[in-house]
Amino acid sequence: MAPIGKEWLVRKALLVMALVMVFGLALVIFFIAKESLPAFTEAGPANLFGSTWDPGSGRYGMLVFLTGTVTTTAGGLLLGTPLALGLALFLTQMAPRRSRPLFGRVVELLAGVPSIVLGWLGFTILVPWIRKVGGGSGSGILAASIILAVMALPTIAAISRDAIEAVPDSYLQAAYSMGATRWQTIRRVLLPAARPGILAAVILGAGRAIGETMAVAMVIGPASVFPTSLTSPTHTLTTKILVEMGESTGVQRSSLFAMSLVLLLLAMAMVLLVRRVSGSRMPEGSVHA
Amino acid sequence: MGADRAATVSIWSAALAALAILLFIIGAILWNGLGTALSPSFVFGKPQAMREGGGIWPMVVSSVYLSVLTLALVIPLGVGAAVYMAEFARAGRLARLVRFGADSLSAVPSVVFGVFGMVVFVIYLGLGYSLLAGALTLTLLNLPTVARASEEAIRAVPQSYREAALSMGCTRWEMVKKVVLPVAQPGITTGAVLTVGRIVGESAAVIYTVGLFVRKVPWSPFAPAAPMAANIWHMYTEGALVPDWFRVASGEAAFLLLSVLALNMAARMLAAFLRRKMGYSA
Repeated sequence: MAPIGKEWLVRKALLVMALVMVFGLALVIFFIAKESLPAFTEAGPANLFGSTWDPGSGRYGMLVFLTGTVTTTAGGLLLGTPLALGLALFLTQMAPRRSRPLFGRVVELLAGVPSIVLGWLGFTILVPWIRKVGGGSGSGILAASIILAVMALPTIAAISRDAIEAVPDSYLQAAYSMGATRWQTIRRVLLPAARPGILAAVILGAGRAIGETMAVAMVIGPASVFPTSLTSPTHTLTTKILVEMGESTGVQRSSLFAMSLVLLLLAMAMVLLVRRVSGSRMPEGSVHA
Repeated sequence: MGADRAATVSIWSAALAALAILLFIIGAILWNGLGTALSPSFVFGKPQAMREGGGIWPMVVSSVYLSVLTLALVIPLGVGAAVYMAEFARAGRLARLVRFGADSLSAVPSVVFGVFGMVVFVIYLGLGYSLLAGALTLTLLNLPTVARASEEAIRAVPQSYREAALSMGCTRWEMVKKVVLPVAQPGITTGAVLTVGRIVGESAAVIYTVGLFVRKVPWSPFAPAAPMAANIWHMYTEGALVPDWFRVASGEAAFLLLSVLALNMAARMLAAFLRRKMGYSA
């Protein structure tokens, strides 16, 4: 074959490979939507987004699980964000030069801990400990929030670090030369300049928390009712899907796919939101370099 | 001055707390499971139900097998996509579409990939619970990360290398094949090793595509299998069938954590080694 022909062929083959991701996403959306269709036609949106989950009497409300997802994610961010920002500031501004690789490595390794391992730790240590100190069952929103804070920590820290590092040195030099202290410089110059990146980091951390399954499943309860306290069993969208997909059929199974569809739409909304705030492409979600 | 001092103290504490959390996780997991995880009769042993002393060899093989199968699919696809985006794509609607697809896929929760894989690969394509169904699911899950890491490695190749290749009469593809990919290879390899860590640690996408528990080592890609991460969940939910389930799950968690940490370290060391060998640093 002539060299031109081969070049053209290779180029098209590479394009197809790049498009696999687009087709893949389309396939995921299509099949999840298709499987959730019976839930929308037979149970109806009012039922699906209602507050009672009781398949025995035809109630498929996901509000309990949506509440679980929102509260545990909020709790995780509340606990995890200050820690992650502190870590990012430390890594960029304060860490003695020689210790920077060590703390950078800590972020990477923490990001690499499998969620099932974190869940096992939550189940064997965190839940019994909460039960002893705070009473209740020990599992629930508090335990899940703590676990999610640990899961979101490396994501938020790594992306915020990149955002902070991207602030031009001249900004800091200007602030210091005007007599600002380190904290004044951080608060008045560095953080405002890095704000879009930090916001993107927190949104991506939220995305990670919303999607987290195994680690939450082992500390959340489980129970398909609204929690009565921070330490009473409940469910999130992901844990409900995980626990019940294997043993459900018909409309009940379909309503689990409807929950998957909600998660899918939330994920895509987050991507658009991140692009909006950071003004460009999504920052790296997991830790690489 | 007071505020400055307080800020310094709290930022230092945040960093030390993160370090403490990591050390606590590793310490607690190893404290409960290291003894079990290091015994050959556990790692290479047959799993048992109804009696004590079972091992996890079929799960170890499942995890390795699943990683190999997934890598065989995701690396060529991911690198191909990366080459297209870095070397051939013009900024435009098509490139934007690919980026949106990649970003969205990387944001989809793994449990959603799991139920998607169950519907499409396990049921619709008739693969059943199998290593292949799991590998296909995990390929889709890991594709955006592999493509992104490879694209960064390719973009880090100095422009002068490309110009040199083109000026000597290479076509674009010859340039990619003979110059760009070899030079980007350390970065791509590091990404691949990190991907193995993610595959081995993944459970939510695996449980409904590969399986939770097997007695025998799975040899065929069409056989159901039970990667370690999924098997820990099995022990947690159905543990009553195994009298020493707590020991097994703790040992498995420790073995899994050690494997993933080792893979992460190996990726760094490999990258440093390959770069030194190639005589450039990027």
